[in-house]
Amino acid sequence: MIPLAHYLILSGLLFSIGLAGIIIRKNILVVFMCLELMLTAANISLVAFSRAQGTAGLPVYDVQILSLFVTGIAAAEVAIGLALIVALFRARKTVESTALNTLKD
Amino acid sequence: MMQNLPWLFLLLPLLAAALDWVLFSKCSKTAATLSILSAAATLALCVAYLAGLNTGAPDVYTWMPVAEERLSLHLGLLTDPLAMRMMLVVTGIGLLVHIFSLGYMKGDTSNLSRYFAGLSIFMFSMSCIVLADNLAMTFIGWEMVGFSSYLLIGHWYHKASAADAAKKAFITNRVGDFGFLIGILLTLGVFGSMNFADMAGKAAGIPAALLTATVLCLFCGAVGKSAQFPLHVWLPDAMEGPTPVSALIHAATMVAAGVYMLVRLQIAMGHAAFTDTACAVIASVGAITAALAALIATQQDDIKRVLAYSTLSQLGYMVMAVGLLAGEAAMFHLYTHAWFKALLFLGAGAVIVCCHHEQNIWKMGGLAKRMPLTVLCFLMGTCALIAIPGFSGFFSKEAILDAALEHCPVFFWVGAGVAALTTFYMTRLCLVAFCGSARAHGAEQAHEAGASMLLPLLILAVMAIISGYGFIADALVPYAGFEAHGFAVGLPFYVSLGSLGLGLVAALLVYGCGKRSSDPLAGNALSAALRERLYIDEFYDKVLIGGVQAIIAHIIEFIDAAIIRGLCVQGSAWLTSRFGLLLSKLQGGSLRAYTFLSGLGLLVLIILLAFNF
Amino acid sequence: MFESAFCQIVFYIFALLAAGCALGVVISRNPVTSAMNMALCFGFVAAIFFGLGAQFLGIVQLIVYAGAILVLFLFVTMMLDIKAEEKPASRNCWLPSAPALGAVLIGTVFFGLVSNLSLALPGAQDSGCPAKALCSSIGELALSPTAAPAAEAPAAARFGGALPKLDPAAAARALKPGISPEEAAAATSYPDVKLLAQCLYTRYNIAFVILGFALLAGTVGATALARRIRKN
Repeated sequence: MIPLAHYLILSGLLFSIGLAGIIIRKNILVVFMCLELMLTAANISLVAFSRAQGTAGLPVYDVQILSLFVTGIAAAEVAIGLALIVALFRARKTVESTALNTLKD
Repeated sequence: MMQNLPWLFLLLPLLAAALDWVLFSKCSKTAATLSILSAAATLALCVAYLAGLNTGAPDVYTWMPVAEERLSLHLGLLTDPLAMRMMLVVTGIGLLVHIFSLGYMKGDTSNLSRYFAGLSIFMFSMSCIVLADNLAMTFIGWEMVGFSSYLLIGHWYHKASAADAAKKAFITNRVGDFGFLIGILLTLGVFGSMNFADMAGKAAGIPAALLTATVLCLFCGAVGKSAQFPLHVWLPDAMEGPTPVSALIHAATMVAAGVYMLVRLQIAMGHAAFTDTACAVIASVGAITAALAALIATQQDDIKRVLAYSTLSQLGYMVMAVGLLAGEAAMFHLYTHAWFKALLFLGAGAVIVCCHHEQNIWKMGGLAKRMPLTVLCFLMGTCALIAIPGFSGFFSKEAILDAALEHCPVFFWVGAGVAALTTFYMTRLCLVAFCGSARAHGAEQAHEAGASMLLPLLILAVMAIISGYGFIADALVPYAGFEAHGFAVGLPFYVSLGSLGLGLVAALLVYGCGKRSSDPLAGNALSAALRERLYIDEFYDKVLIGGVQAIIAHIIEFIDAAIIRGLCVQGSAWLTSRFGLLLSKLQGGSLRAYTFLSGLGLLVLIILLAFNF
Repeated sequence: MFESAFCQIVFYIFALLAAGCALGVVISRNPVTSAMNMALCFGFVAAIFFGLGAQFLGIVQLIVYAGAILVLFLFVTMMLDIKAEEKPASRNCWLPSAPALGAVLIGTVFFGLVSNLSLALPGAQDSGCPAKALCSSIGELALSPTAAPAAEAPAAARFGGALPKLDPAAAARALKPGISPEEAAAATSYPDVKLLAQCLYTRYNIAFVILGFALLAGTVGATALARRIRKN
């Protein structure tokens, strides 16, 4: 059978790719997608742990529900985040993160 | 409890000063009353002690305990005759000066609470010197009188000359105090104790060179405080302070502290500690001061400066007596001089006030008619100072001349010469200021001084006459077992009479009956030199301040500019700003950079947690 | 045996595909391609969830991510009419090190797991070496919230060993506490959705409702933000 470690490695891989994407890409939409990737990576870990920690033939459903909540919050976050991007684009006519550096001042 | 009564000598003035300063800084009348009350209370206490009150040895308070006992700082009081009779001079003249100040400072716009607080601080510090049972405490009082003297000289600090004079007095005293401090430490090392009681009889086993060094270092303190040559320059300038202050601090008590300290040491260490070399130096310095000051006094026009140089010259007498191992005579002269010089200064103060703050004797004249009582008192003081037989100064000066003749005739003849000069300049002062007719508007309007000024003058005049006689001197001269020896009609008597006559006749010949309007001796090189104080002050200004000090100042300026400002201050500022700029690069506003850094942080976190570093 | 081997092969294939699609998200210039890659990636992840027996989560993953979120992304991409990036991100002093950071991150995860695996081998456990503490510390770190007692799930099972099998009989017992052993043993399918729902609507009912509010707030907020503000 597949050991827990392999699920965790997959999770770490997705997380790292997502992080790298956030750093490398400047299109803020893609950055946002990478963010979703990282959340999904966390979900994989959670579900794998729920199985690994299961006893007497049942997984730990509390962990799966946590994962469900992550998904739900991610949905809400995407809705807000995309609306923000739209508003931002209207205001600045760009979605490039390099152009959004007014935090500096 | 009772044995601690002497501590009141210190506590009362200190309390008065603190209250004056803190609570009554806006209420000068209350402040003055408090100060006068504290002075009166200490005087009463002093009289009680002299009348036979004996409360036993006061407790010794260990101020700074050190494991090695002899290094601990103790504060203890002496109540022996030397201390208590000296206290009588201090508190007695102190009280009179306090009262006189009421009249003198009337109408003065400066802060009188500050003035009286200064006087009380001075009373506290002077008592600290007089009553101290060890050199450390003496030194504390020593610095404190310097401080109060600074405060009072600079009382009219908005006047540049007063502020400068205060600084000059303070800094000049620093020079002497430096030596004094070394002397105290040497004493601690050589005698093993700073306590006067523990020094007795130890001088015999100590090498003469070491003793000489110790005594001369301690003498440095006296040179500064008692304004001996070459540190005498501050005293004439100190006359910028209010005249009562000059009377109390710069004539009667503080400047005599050096003499008091030397005599105290002479008694504590024994005459053996004062080696021949040390004595020769001390006596020579005293004699030089006496002669120089008397010479300069003959050509001064400012009434207070004449008196200041006269004080210098008389202090020179006392120091000379100490150097001749005649502590008894020194203290006798200190005691009589305190009364009559305080009288002269207060008299001068009254004259100055009544002439609308005119100090130049050539702008006075004819005052004898307008303020006879004041002038009479002043004349009594003059008679005592120029040692007319029957006045107090005569007896004490005679004692010093006797001692000088006994030990070393050179000093005797110097003393006699100084006596003639003293007579000359005092007669000149009296003739010019009091006789003839008024030469200025202020003098024309002069009138008799008020009661608060006359009363102290009268009391002091009485003391100036009688304090030298045996019946009163035996009880009051600050020296244990003092006995006024009846003077013999011998060489000293004739010589002093001769010098008196010489001075009188010369002054009368030169200045007549005060008809002249300018000094007939002025105009030649000698007179100019004397008026310029023999160029000693100028020499200090040019060579010490302009030369040596300037070089040191350049070095310090270099250290200040290059190392402290350049390296430490601006360097660190530069480093900080550079570092800040470097860090601000991190906040580039770039989203990706932030993410990268947080990813880096995540990595560090994982490594720390997972690998349990 | 065949089944388990099949499962393994399927997992590794899907894992590789998911990772590949994730890379595609990052690499592709066109945001639409990125979005498509993301949808694929989420589909493969859903498949992995199925393989883990979490059917409900797999479905949610497909519906929410691949359905709703992807559509949102595509809509926004369309709306904003964003062209593909002309060139990779401008020269930035951080950029050269970004892949390195990712590599180090992945390497760290690998190293941590591999070291745990090797430690999980019999004999390594009780050697008393500091690695044992290291191993258990990772376990505690990962599992602390609902950690089962360590005795029931030894470190070997957690990291290196096979995951515990799901038991339909146990599921039947959990759904109907009074069921007889025979009936329970007769159960053949594993009712994942029922079990999750039982937990969700009992223990986490309030949290679930609050999540609903959060989504509502998100909807309202998104509407407010995206509304065109007319001047005058």
